[in-house]
Amino acid sequence: MAANRSLPRPIVWSVSAGILVACYLALIFPFARYLHQKPVQEKLGVVPKAEFLQLVSADQKQLVAEGLTLKVLLYFGTLAEKRNNELQLPPDYQAMSRLLHAAVKLDPYNMDDYYFAQSILVWDVKQIKIANALLEYGMKYRTWDFYLPFFAGFNYGYFLKDYPKAASNYMRAAELSKNPLFATLAGRYLNDAGQSDLAIAYLNTMVLSATNPSIKKTLQVRLEALKKARSIEVAAAAYAKATGIPAESVEELVRQGYLPEVPRDPYGGKFYLDPDGKVKTTSNYASPVKKTKSAPQ
Amino acid sequence: MFEVFRITLKGIFRDRVFHGILVAAVLLPLVPSVSQLSMRQVTELSITLSLSLISFILLLLSVFLGGTSLWKDIDRRYTFSVLSLPISRTRFLLGRFLGLAAFLLLAALVLGVVACVVVSITAGNYPPDRPVVWGNVFAAIVFDALKYILLVAAAVALSTVSTSFFLPVFGTIATMLVGSASQQVYEYVQSPAGEKLTPLLRQCANALYYVLPNFSAFDLKVNAIYGVPLSGQGTLLTVLYFAVYVAMLLLVATVLFSRREMK
Amino acid sequence: MNAIEIAGLSKTYTGKKWTRVDALKNLSLEVAQGEIFGFLGPNGAGKSTTIKTLLGLIRPSSGSARLMGEDIGTAAARKHVGYLPENPAFYDYLNAEEYLLFVGRSFGMPEGLLGQRCAEVLQRLQLWDARKRPMRSYSKGMVQRVGIAQVLIHDPEVYILDEPMSGLDPVGRALVKEIMTELKQRGKCVFFSTHIVSDVESVCDRVGIITKGELRSVERVEAVLERGVVGYQLTLKDREGSRELYVPREQLTTTVGELAVQGVEITLLEPRRKSLEDFFLEIVTGTAV
Ligand SMILES: Nc1ncnc2c1ncn2[C@@H]1O[C@H](COP(=O)(O)OP(=O)(O)OP(=O)(O)O)[C@@H](O)[C@H]1O
Ligand SMILES: [Mg+2]
Repeated sequence: MAANRSLPRPIVWSVSAGILVACYLALIFPFARYLHQKPVQEKLGVVPKAEFLQLVSADQKQLVAEGLTLKVLLYFGTLAEKRNNELQLPPDYQAMSRLLHAAVKLDPYNMDDYYFAQSILVWDVKQIKIANALLEYGMKYRTWDFYLPFFAGFNYGYFLKDYPKAASNYMRAAELSKNPLFATLAGRYLNDAGQSDLAIAYLNTMVLSATNPSIKKTLQVRLEALKKARSIEVAAAAYAKATGIPAESVEELVRQGYLPEVPRDPYGGKFYLDPDGKVKTTSNYASPVKKTKSAPQ
Repeated sequence: MFEVFRITLKGIFRDRVFHGILVAAVLLPLVPSVSQLSMRQVTELSITLSLSLISFILLLLSVFLGGTSLWKDIDRRYTFSVLSLPISRTRFLLGRFLGLAAFLLLAALVLGVVACVVVSITAGNYPPDRPVVWGNVFAAIVFDALKYILLVAAAVALSTVSTSFFLPVFGTIATMLVGSASQQVYEYVQSPAGEKLTPLLRQCANALYYVLPNFSAFDLKVNAIYGVPLSGQGTLLTVLYFAVYVAMLLLVATVLFSRREMK
Repeated sequence: MNAIEIAGLSKTYTGKKWTRVDALKNLSLEVAQGEIFGFLGPNGAGKSTTIKTLLGLIRPSSGSARLMGEDIGTAAARKHVGYLPENPAFYDYLNAEEYLLFVGRSFGMPEGLLGQRCAEVLQRLQLWDARKRPMRSYSKGMVQRVGIAQVLIHDPEVYILDEPMSGLDPVGRALVKEIMTELKQRGKCVFFSTHIVSDVESVCDRVGIITKGELRSVERVEAVLERGVVGYQLTLKDREGSRELYVPREQLTTTVGELAVQGVEITLLEPRRKSLEDFFLEIVTGTAV
């Protein structure tokens, strides 16, 4: 080059290197910030149909499935993180569900997918039937796993009020796990016992086994809310027993000394007693973002 | 430099590897029929398939032509005859790189035009809910080409030091994998789940994130498929990133190549 | 200004596992314009190493050199040179014509002149008929001819040829010698390496002999041949018939005197000279001259 003639090459090289590194440093941080702030929906991206993936992933189906699962986990992780920063975006549950379904098609043994579907999609999307179909699909493969019938049993009992199915699933979980707890739970379903206790027992198990921090946190919040609701239930029952009439409101229970204070709903709602005497909350056990949720079908 | 550029293009067009890869392009006209598999988004699927196929062809081209071009010159001892001409090594290297880059851009444009025809046929038969944003489709293809040009720059840099075929080819593939994963890994390390990793590992991952190539910004498939608007600033940053990163790779390549002995 | 000036050039290769080869040791040499210089040496002597260093393909470990006054390793120095690598390889997807055009343009030749020179050179080296075929299909000798053609096309001042005769048929060899002589007449400098002594004898002005990386001798070819008269072969005739006698150079006078005294007739006296080949072999095998 012309410059080579007038200047020794090492000087040309080091000067250009200096300029380029300076440019790079000036650029890379805004660039990284831009990528980090790219809306999360975009990051979940689009995934070809499961059948197509099945075709092209050749003998690497597990790998591709794991890739999809990680994508969902990562997506949810950043979402949960952003929720703390009060950055509220309606999560794309539909896309997550699609990815999970694609993943189990590729690798029906991948527990992450079932676990994730159960932990998040069931509560937030209320697609219980789809979730149970997914779990039953998994049970065909993961024949040794007590979690799947345990999840399905819970869904049948708690959400669908289909107690015989719930009981049979819990029995299956008890058989597989050799854990008498599940047998007890099954028994409760058979005589239609308190729902809150069941949910608390279920969530306790889930929290204990959770390893993914964002899922664990979600479950803990839910557990806390249910425990608070349960404490109101207990207080209301005691009040009804003592006075012979059902309590009017949560505040009434506090005034009469059955509760130390009005429990705070971790989802930001307000607990109240509905006319049947059941404990409800204005948040409906979901984060406020869910109010804008795009109804999945 | 222009002469090297010219024979580089000539060489690629006469290369049998190129002819082989070109065969993959005949899949493109099949896209409309395959897209009908989708129940709810035929046009979107046709865009997805076209973009993926183009991307795949460009990947093959950049690995097997970009990655082997300079290595072949050295291995087949063409360098003795060419580098003894009054062309400086810097110019030779730039001519080679520009030839490859121009070729990739050209290939992307030709394939892109075919893809546009294919997509518009599909969109005509199965009108999508939202009209296809052609500008975004175009941008997605151009940025895909830029990504592979960046990859070729890396391949050229690797070729300047290697004595065998392995480093440029597998190094290029590895660069591709690393570049595609780096953003995801970074997000993972930054997420609460990543906090369980040892601090040293996290610091290493962070440092690498800022040094290794990052291809995620070049992926505009979502914008093309679903018509999500492009971010002007983001696009500009990506172009600047591309320019600076390529320049750095080429500088390294020039320094290494100028010092290399043709034994 | 000399066409080629080499001062104290050394090259040490460091191979794998830190093995070191001193391929070139403190070589100094000057070759003038209008001179044909033969660079003679056995296999592995360092001929190609010297030449590659001159073209900037490898860097010298120490020492320096200039081509037409320009430091080696620069594009400016190569501008004056036509270089034929040993066992050359050219882009095999191009045909001979395309390659020659590429070379000519790299030297910045104007298009009109280039087209004309290209045709001339192709015809001269008998490549005209094959000029549109890709070089992939060429025989070894044809590739060598392309190598010579690409040296000639831009009409440089200095020709550096690494074993130009290798792979050529006798007609080709004669052609190359003819071309070299023509170049000399036009005042060009030709520097070529070889291990074939007769090639040197027939065309070179000077010869340099290199072994094991050291330049042993630089001589005018004529002087070597003159100095080379080592004795005489006499054919004698006396009563017993005719016989032959070899006499070393310094004993000729005395022997002739003695023979005259004995009455022996000298029917034939032939000078016996050492050929360049013997000269070369002596240097290479280390026996004193
Ligand atoms: N790349 C290399 N690495 C290590 N040693 C080398 C290398 N190239 C050459 N040599 C050594 O340098 C010495 C000189 O080699 P060079 O090629 O210059 O010989 P030459 O005179 O051209 O021989 P020939 O007549 O066989 O072509 C030899 O001993 C050779 O082994
Ligand atoms: Mg040699």
